[in-house]
Amino acid sequence: MNQTVTIRRLATGVPGLDAILGGGLPELSFNLITGPPGSGKTTLAHQIMFALATPEHPALFLTVLGEPPLKMLRYQQQFSFFDNSRIGAAVRFVNLSDEMASGDFEQMLARITREIQIASPALVFVDSFRAVTRDAARSGAHSLDLQHFVQQLGVQLSAWQATTFLIGEYHSQTEDHPVFTVADGLLALRQSVHRNSMVRQIQVLKMRGQATSPGVHTFRITGAGIEIFPSAIVRDDSGATAHTSASPARDGHRMGMGVPLLDDMLGGGLPSGFSLLVAGPSGSGKTLLATAFLAEGVRSGEPGVMVAFEQTPSQSLNSAIDDMVRAGAIGLINTRSLDLSIDEIVHHLIGMIRRMKAKRVVIDSLSGFELAVAPTFREDFRESLFRMVAALSSLGVTVLVTSELEDRYTDLRFSPYGSAFLTDAIVVQRYIEIDSGLTRVMAVVKVRDSAHSSEIRQFAITGGHIVIGDPVRGYEGLLGGSPQHAPYGPRGADDRAAGPMP
Amino acid sequence: MTDSGDDARRLALRKMLARSVAAGSDAAVLACAFFGLWQQTAGQLEPVIGARGVDVLFSRALHLTSRRFPWLPSAADGNNVAPLEVLQTCLAGRSAAEARDAGEMLLLTFTGLLAGMVGQSLTARMLGASWTVCDIHASSKEPVAAQSTST
Repeated sequence: MNQTVTIRRLATGVPGLDAILGGGLPELSFNLITGPPGSGKTTLAHQIMFALATPEHPALFLTVLGEPPLKMLRYQQQFSFFDNSRIGAAVRFVNLSDEMASGDFEQMLARITREIQIASPALVFVDSFRAVTRDAARSGAHSLDLQHFVQQLGVQLSAWQATTFLIGEYHSQTEDHPVFTVADGLLALRQSVHRNSMVRQIQVLKMRGQATSPGVHTFRITGAGIEIFPSAIVRDDSGATAHTSASPARDGHRMGMGVPLLDDMLGGGLPSGFSLLVAGPSGSGKTLLATAFLAEGVRSGEPGVMVAFEQTPSQSLNSAIDDMVRAGAIGLINTRSLDLSIDEIVHHLIGMIRRMKAKRVVIDSLSGFELAVAPTFREDFRESLFRMVAALSSLGVTVLVTSELEDRYTDLRFSPYGSAFLTDAIVVQRYIEIDSGLTRVMAVVKVRDSAHSSEIRQFAITGGHIVIGDPVRGYEGLLGGSPQHAPYGPRGADDRAAGPMP
Repeated sequence: MTDSGDDARRLALRKMLARSVAAGSDAAVLACAFFGLWQQTAGQLEPVIGARGVDVLFSRALHLTSRRFPWLPSAADGNNVAPLEVLQTCLAGRSAAEARDAGEMLLLTFTGLLAGMVGQSLTARMLGASWTVCDIHASSKEPVAAQSTST
């Protein structure tokens, strides 16, 4: 017979929170929610409370000296989770500011105990802990000192057979307090302000008895409350970390690119599950190539999702994309926000991939992506890209990423982020000068573990389509931008094929 | 703030008053009744918004009501609310009509301020059954004002 206690995990009702907690909030746990003013502590507590409280398992929300209760009720009511009809039977607010003003913490503890005995709540919230400790410190000698009071409160909250929360402006990472030891769970909220953008972040610093998702996760507060975007390490339903290496799921299938001859150049199409970087200067046709890739997917019964960052409000998406989106054939995430986290984008993207059962994903472009990401995350942009590619890879989708690449004829680069190594295949587009005119050329630089063409082919954009022409022959120094006629004439066609690139 | 919430509270208040005092009662009886209603209302709200929250709203309500009834005791400043006893004595010293009008306006202004802060629906819930005799519950919550949703 199994003698161990089974801890029930409560669904918090906060999107993303259960995932980072490692499967939900342990029932009867004693938790701290800490963070600076305005970081969303009370909102988080209320959202959890309204998700869990029922007349059979009521919640008691004790307000101390933090936010005045009238203001709290006024603003919290703006969230859709705040349900007036449940106040009374399922949710009870009690204000303790009068006890607090008296400065007698023994009396306050007695009042808290009395309220809990009356209500027999399944959930208890004390807002705010910081106010309790600060006032205790200010008032000096008491029959019950600060440390003793907090410990008593913690112990009593733990023993009341209720899931309990202390909310406070406590700097959990810089301050030391005995209550941190008593607590089973510690949720730290913070706001990171960088230049003109603000990013909200949450970290589970402690949660006894279960494996939490490490690291800092971003969240947003909208009219629906808090939504957390777990850091972009994809976990499967069992909670085990899924496959985070960048190696794609290979099934031997090759995907058509929707551009005649490009499939041949890639050695028979893009291997399924691969990530392809299309790098080129502005106007070279990267978005058109991406559009053709998605359109070919629609023709082949492989739905796609496009993440667009490039369009300004005055520009509409190209009509082909627009038509496919309107027809519901592809999904579109178009964002011009400048305070996104990569995790948030990946969260939306993965949600859409699952909904659409998408096989193809286009990210257009890395340059726009970098601009859209909050400055806080730009330092880690490359690392975040790696996590994103890994996350998408683990879903088995085939990804095409465009990258704006300034034409530099003194060096050969494929991406401004040194991220070319992240992708399995690379197609580069460039402008070259031939006979005093600009000509577009395209080449396949890399297809991992696969033979591909090494030709540099001219291409044109005709009627909104990419038309690949002949290889550029009889010239040398093409990638230098100013090719010269080769002194020995055109090369033969017999040495075009290259071996697989490692 | 919707008029229907104010009207419903006015109706509820008059019913509560009618239960407490006989028609044609003098100012002293009315003042005593208002004193009782005030204590009942404050007692209902104090556990949720604290005595201080109640005091602050009361001071503001008294200030607004005294514009029409300048003989009401002043709230001095925001922190020192005129004692209810002083208010009761003041009402008792006026005519019955004046006492009724001022007492009613004070309580309705107070509950109106509360509704302005937290909305009609939550106000109805917080004030309790005696104030909801006329079913002033809104079935769903209503916006209290255009507000940002961030905390």
